[in-house]
Amino acid sequence: MVTRKKRLGMALASVLVLSALAGCGDKAVSGTGGDGKGKPDEMQFYFTGSLNVKELWETLVPMFEKANPNVKVKLVYIDSGSGGQSTFDRIMAAKQAGQKSGNIDLYESSLSDLTKGMKSDLWASFDNSKIPNLSKIDPNNLKNLNGAGIPYRASAVILAYNSAKVATPPKTADELYDWIRKHPGRFAYNDPATGGSGDSFVQTAIYNFLPPEASTSQDPAIMKQWDKGFALLKELHPYMYQKGVYPKKNQGTLDLMANGEVDIIPAWSDMALEQISKKVLPDTTKLTQINPSFTGGPTYLMAPKLSEHLDSVAAFLNFVLTPEAQTVIVNKMYGYPGIKWSEMPKELQDKFKDVAGGYRTFNLGDLGKEIQKRWQQDVAGGQ
Amino acid sequence: MSKAVKQGILGLALVFPAFLLLCLVVIVPILLAINESLKDDQGNYSLQSYQTLFTDKVMAGNIWFTLKLTVISVVLVLLISYALAVYMRFSGGPIVAGIRKMYMIPIFIPSVIASYGIINMYGNHGWLSRLLLPFGIETIPRIIFDYKGIILANLWFNIPFTTMLLTSALAGIPNSVIESAKDVGAGRLNIFFKLIVPLSYRTMLVAVTFSFMGIIGGFTAPFLIGPNSPQVLGVAMRQVFSVYQETQLASATAVFMFVLCSVMGYFYIRTMIKDDKASMH
Repeated sequence: MVTRKKRLGMALASVLVLSALAGCGDKAVSGTGGDGKGKPDEMQFYFTGSLNVKELWETLVPMFEKANPNVKVKLVYIDSGSGGQSTFDRIMAAKQAGQKSGNIDLYESSLSDLTKGMKSDLWASFDNSKIPNLSKIDPNNLKNLNGAGIPYRASAVILAYNSAKVATPPKTADELYDWIRKHPGRFAYNDPATGGSGDSFVQTAIYNFLPPEASTSQDPAIMKQWDKGFALLKELHPYMYQKGVYPKKNQGTLDLMANGEVDIIPAWSDMALEQISKKVLPDTTKLTQINPSFTGGPTYLMAPKLSEHLDSVAAFLNFVLTPEAQTVIVNKMYGYPGIKWSEMPKELQDKFKDVAGGYRTFNLGDLGKEIQKRWQQDVAGGQ
Repeated sequence: MSKAVKQGILGLALVFPAFLLLCLVVIVPILLAINESLKDDQGNYSLQSYQTLFTDKVMAGNIWFTLKLTVISVVLVLLISYALAVYMRFSGGPIVAGIRKMYMIPIFIPSVIASYGIINMYGNHGWLSRLLLPFGIETIPRIIFDYKGIILANLWFNIPFTTMLLTSALAGIPNSVIESAKDVGAGRLNIFFKLIVPLSYRTMLVAVTFSFMGIIGGFTAPFLIGPNSPQVLGVAMRQVFSVYQETQLASATAVFMFVLCSVMGYFYIRTMIKDDKASMH
């Protein structure tokens, strides 16, 4: 135990040091001088996520700076799960104190942060005059945003299935539930508290019984209408893998799929596509979307209104929405582009056609946690 | 000032940095957790979190699950470790040498990697079930994603250290004592329970305390290997804190676990002090 504790302390210290170094890392200065306008305008870009997000920006930013020598983008990476919330809190606190933007010029986050900030008039508004490439985005993705958030990429939960075992995958949610009943033990979704793919399966099972507008309501009164959904999930419980096992994290179900333990799982499109391409999932794995679809949604870029570098931010955002940048995003993230598929190169449209069928975006707010709690008690706990 | 007073001050000055570190790293967080656990959703002081902790079906189920799991694991660890220690101490030969070299290995394997190995070994269609196929055994009971899986992991993580402690305690027992007992006709069980256990039970208490504290607070293996419900308190606490964001209930859970470990620690210290006093006479 002493040895273990000591090593744990050493490991934690190492992780902290590495995190600090990653956060402080500065990009090499590229192409100073150029048009001789003096020092480049520097903007600070805060983002969080997994390693692939970090690598994405480390690829895109040099491309942008090469084409725009008068702008420098400083990346500030916050490791997934370790304090992304504090960035939002910092921007909010800076506004309340009248301290400009707290040195945060651009922030990547989710719809919930975007809407929270909009309530406090936190974000700058962009239009076509500043970002011409906004016209390439599907207008539906810009509704209700007032130019405050730029949906630059997206991911969605889809069905991954083993085509060697499942010749005709389910097309609708009801067909999926029937398939589960007819093939006990061959379907799994992960514990919804540990990963979004299982969470999406649970949420859609509940909200498919409700009118569409319910999926963006955060009124606690709607909880009374969840009974049908939870009854369905409880009914399906004994037909799950090993009579009711829900692996932890999105990767847990992908591992079962890789090992041939199950034939169908819900999965994030980006994770599944990446692992198929890397041969972690067998070649027989295919992807499809059902109707009504699972959830998913854009990841947004948003700029504090009080930033002093909004012109540089607008130039960067316009670059991110070019087909060239979006091609890098799609290839690196195996996800949906932020712009319309029709704006993308033909070969990419073909490559991703199986998952281009769309998704729904729920915005349940704190109700999402209530669903997870009730799932833990009613479905996993069998009460 | 007298020399004695100067030395006293110097001693205190040397100890003070470590004491300060202890305060900041251990005592202050504990006090903050206790304070947080005594607040309700409106920020007023109340026992609401503890009431929820002990009456909510999910959390109460988690508590009982964790306690049962911990007790069973500690007992099994102790039995196996004692058997190993006695075998290594009083037997010879190449098998003993082999065990002596290998039994410490699990200490050096990180828990995530060990959990992954256990999943592959004991999982549905894992290595074990494949090895048993030629013998006509088609299925084995569910071990991974089950209570049994966590016990296996607890054994893996705790047997080496416990065995090491007990082996060192048994090394202090002279062979002559054992031989004398044999000469007067004592059987093996009698020797074990009347001589070996009494002479090593203080170390056994140390081992029990360490195993208990390590097992009850476990997270990685129970998270990856355990069932979805009920959960061990470490996993439930993380879910309440990180996913549900109910910091008061998470703090109450942490305080409860701290109290359990304190009781174990107190019991151990009291026994040690009592024995020290007795042995002075």
